[in-house]
Amino acid sequence: MSSSTLNVLDLKQDKIRLLHLSWFAFFLTFVVWFNFAPMLSSIKEAFDLSNQQVKALMILNVALTIPARVIVGMLVDRFGPRIVFSALLILGGLVCVAFAMANSYEMIALLRFLMGFIGAGFVIGIRLVGEWFPARQVGLAEGVYGGWGNFGSAAAAMTLPTLALYFGGDDGWRYAIAATGVMAFAYGFVFYWRARNTPKGSTYFKPKKSGGLVVSSKRDLVFYIAMCVPMYLALAVLTWKLSPVNLGLLSETASIALYVVLAVLFVVQVSQILRVNSDVLNNVAIPPMQQYKFKQVAILNVAYFVTFGSELAVVSMLPLFFMDTFTLSAVEAGLLASGFAFMNLAARPGGGYLSDKFGRRKSLSILVAGLAVGYMVLSQIESAWPVWLAVVATMCCSFFVQAGEGAVFAIVPLVKRSMTGQIAGMTGAYGNVGAVIFLTVLSFVSNADFFMVIAACAAVVFAAVQFLEEPQGHTAELNDDGSVALIEVS
Amino acid sequence: MHFDGGLKLSIAQHSSAGQKTVNEDSLGIRVPDDEQLTTKGAVAVIADGVSAAEAGKEAAETCVTGFLSDYFSTPDSWSVKRSAQQVLNALNRWLYGQGQHYLQAEKGYVSTLSIAIFKSQTAHLFHVGDSRVYRLRDGFLEQLTRDHAMPIGRGQSYLTRAMGLDINLDVDYRAVDVAVGDIFLLSTDGIHDVLNSSRIQALISSYGDDLHAAGQCLLDEALAAGSDDNLSCQLLRVDALPLEDAGDVYRKLTALSFPPPLSAGMVLDGLVIECEIHASPRSQLYKVFDATADRHYVMKTPSANFNDDPAYIERFILESWIGRRIQSDYVIDVIEPPQAPSYLYYLSAYSPGVTLGQWMLKNPKPATQSMLDIIVPVAKGLQTMHRRDTFHQDVKPDNILVGDDGSIKIIDFGSCYVAGLAEIAVPIERDKVLGTAQYSAPEHVLGRRPSGKADQFSLAVIVFEMLTGQQPYQGRLQNCTTTVAFSRLEYVSACHYNPHVPLWLDAALSRALSISPELRYSDVSEFVYDLEHPNQEFMKNEFQPLLTRNPLRTWQGISLFLFVCLLWSLLR
Repeated sequence: MSSSTLNVLDLKQDKIRLLHLSWFAFFLTFVVWFNFAPMLSSIKEAFDLSNQQVKALMILNVALTIPARVIVGMLVDRFGPRIVFSALLILGGLVCVAFAMANSYEMIALLRFLMGFIGAGFVIGIRLVGEWFPARQVGLAEGVYGGWGNFGSAAAAMTLPTLALYFGGDDGWRYAIAATGVMAFAYGFVFYWRARNTPKGSTYFKPKKSGGLVVSSKRDLVFYIAMCVPMYLALAVLTWKLSPVNLGLLSETASIALYVVLAVLFVVQVSQILRVNSDVLNNVAIPPMQQYKFKQVAILNVAYFVTFGSELAVVSMLPLFFMDTFTLSAVEAGLLASGFAFMNLAARPGGGYLSDKFGRRKSLSILVAGLAVGYMVLSQIESAWPVWLAVVATMCCSFFVQAGEGAVFAIVPLVKRSMTGQIAGMTGAYGNVGAVIFLTVLSFVSNADFFMVIAACAAVVFAAVQFLEEPQGHTAELNDDGSVALIEVS
Repeated sequence: MHFDGGLKLSIAQHSSAGQKTVNEDSLGIRVPDDEQLTTKGAVAVIADGVSAAEAGKEAAETCVTGFLSDYFSTPDSWSVKRSAQQVLNALNRWLYGQGQHYLQAEKGYVSTLSIAIFKSQTAHLFHVGDSRVYRLRDGFLEQLTRDHAMPIGRGQSYLTRAMGLDINLDVDYRAVDVAVGDIFLLSTDGIHDVLNSSRIQALISSYGDDLHAAGQCLLDEALAAGSDDNLSCQLLRVDALPLEDAGDVYRKLTALSFPPPLSAGMVLDGLVIECEIHASPRSQLYKVFDATADRHYVMKTPSANFNDDPAYIERFILESWIGRRIQSDYVIDVIEPPQAPSYLYYLSAYSPGVTLGQWMLKNPKPATQSMLDIIVPVAKGLQTMHRRDTFHQDVKPDNILVGDDGSIKIIDFGSCYVAGLAEIAVPIERDKVLGTAQYSAPEHVLGRRPSGKADQFSLAVIVFEMLTGQQPYQGRLQNCTTTVAFSRLEYVSACHYNPHVPLWLDAALSRALSISPELRYSDVSEFVYDLEHPNQEFMKNEFQPLLTRNPLRTWQGISLFLFVCLLWSLLR
């Protein structure tokens, strides 16, 4: 028996067990990914870093995730989610332990950059959960997966400073970070042992077509290619940030080489996009059933840019921000800052619920407007504020941010069912682009201005959301006598 | 169905006795105006009764009328080739039998026969004797058949192959593609013996669209050129081909929309939803009640996950099509809905019970007889399907229902391969490999030609699992996707897991579980027979040395012995 509700305590069901296995795996990837944020003050002291260097670390942490999402998506097609998720946890755990033992700024920078890879875990679980749950439960199941998993960054912020104190000494932060790596490493084996790609006796794990989105018109094709540019731009900005012009972490030749690599990758992607869209180029008519507007994808992308992007950025900087503004200890700051990601548990599934209930465009508009106001309020925080008020402000703001994420992902499957995987992948990548851009901005401006920039972006996105069309399709309604009638929704 | 209609042919046929007194030629065309045009195609038949024979005329008439009626009586699911082959075999036997009382075979019921069947975007040609099939494309005439005749001088020849000549019949079969504007010509030797190809080409071309005039002209010209035989020809021009417009197919596929998520109490087309039986990422099953007939059915609805996947929708539509064409006590009945459906779904009979998967959980390692009580009916159901050129391709415990009353039913036609449907081209990309990794035969995973042997393999996996509680090949089947990986698999005897399994039964299992389909039984029924009856061949090697039975223990034993010897020699 199954219904549209989901009993997450019913562990007798294989799929519920799988859901718990997957969200916890995703949770651990987030713990490992953001384990450095609450430890930044210790790291800063241990290596005697400048503010600029610390901010570079934050950007490095989210940069590799952009291309990693694509690579991980392809690996999942090839090998299936079970082995890829296990491998990601095991390798991520090893890199994390190495990070804990690093002894120079160059080393921690490099290892942080590599750890960006573990941020791509999200993609794997989304695919896995999709293989296990029937259509009417999958939205809720993925909400639980995403929300509870994202909570990992809050868990890291809450527990790691205490853990570091428990280990004690100057190297406490090293032990705390290493502990998360060991956990991820061990859980990688547990995951391989317990998880399965598909329900027993189910059809094959079916690879989704990769290579690029198939669009419906030449105009959309240009639009699509234009929307790919920011992903490379974000990486180019990072390279510039690290080049001799700025931080000087990379040599002149290395940064030029990186620019070239990015340009080549862009050309490769464009040629791939053109290849899968040969029908559009050759003016072959696309059946109405297969048509959709790329505009919808683009709007969801920018909406995720400002929601998930800002979340990643804020989660990275918030503990340090609280410490500096209110002169708190690392433990207190971490605990209070965790309030931001804490909202994930309820807000993300809640956003999906709102979207289902009150209309897609309306709820997304309200949530984006809410987060614009929220960030505006955050920009006003100063040492004169009572700490509790600051915490309440961050939690209110984060509700809108995460409910916005939930609302975006409630629309993603409705744009074009057969390409949901790719649309979700692109939207997710935009979240990371947002993180890179916002953190880069942070490295140039004050904390208050940083929040203002996000608020301004949110205002622009609010305007963009107004162009979102309510997804079309047949929905059925019940007649008074209980029989189902077909109502065309437009 | 979504691929109905579209094929349009212009036809003309002419026949005349010419200088002879009797016309021993016979000819006929049938273009069905219903679904059969899609499933069986349009048929043109021409036959030339051999004049040396006593009953050539009767033979030719029998061939034409017999073929035209019998071909359309074969199951829809059969391929053109199989349908025609069966009908031709029967016709030939009958003609040969009728001619038995003549001293020489060629004196009896003997006739040439040429057939062109137009199905989807292919013309299937069957030919025996010296009548011919030509194709005129872009102004060029091409002869598509080869005469089965041996010249014996002075313009005379005798037939080396013909209907009714021999008990064994070799028929030339050829499938050619068809394009709009192609003209197919079927003729008897009265025409093509006196008019050469270039003349025929020029004549047909000169009449353009008027096929009747062209046909008449061919007859007149041949007569004028001195033909002393009967004269017959058929002309078929392809005016339109089915399913060239993808948009059209998509529109037909989506004519019915997917039902919304249903819950108890809802009413759909007069059917009350009682509860959800099962939901998977691919489909949902509901138990529904039809108040007018006072009966329960199972309703299967497609999953919203696939509402823009044409390959999935086509499969779903075909599922009920296939189900309606399989009549067996051991295959679930597909029920005609009481009202014209307003959504995409189909109904099947409701029988309370559990799936074999659930049954196996409750009955681990059952006695051989209880296993056979389930497997034998399944095999019979599969045989019924195989006789219809339909291969299930997803035989697994979850697709077998064990009724509370002991009835056994095969369910789910979602992965079926139907030869007759595979011939119908559609402008959408179809999913190639469906099925379940743990139970699929290697050749199925590798995408080889479908056959009943894959179902036999899957059935054997189920038997193995029932008897031992383990998957064969140590459960490694599901990880194999290449020929090399499959060839590395090693069969571990069922007796190893369950000592109660007799050796001969394991031998039958290991044969049905052969990686190479050629090494398996040629039919499911043979496999099941060997499960029920100890095969003497398998009993011969009852004694096996310990080394083959358990090499690990043998070497462990030898090592232990040597170790003891070593200790002894050291301590001495």
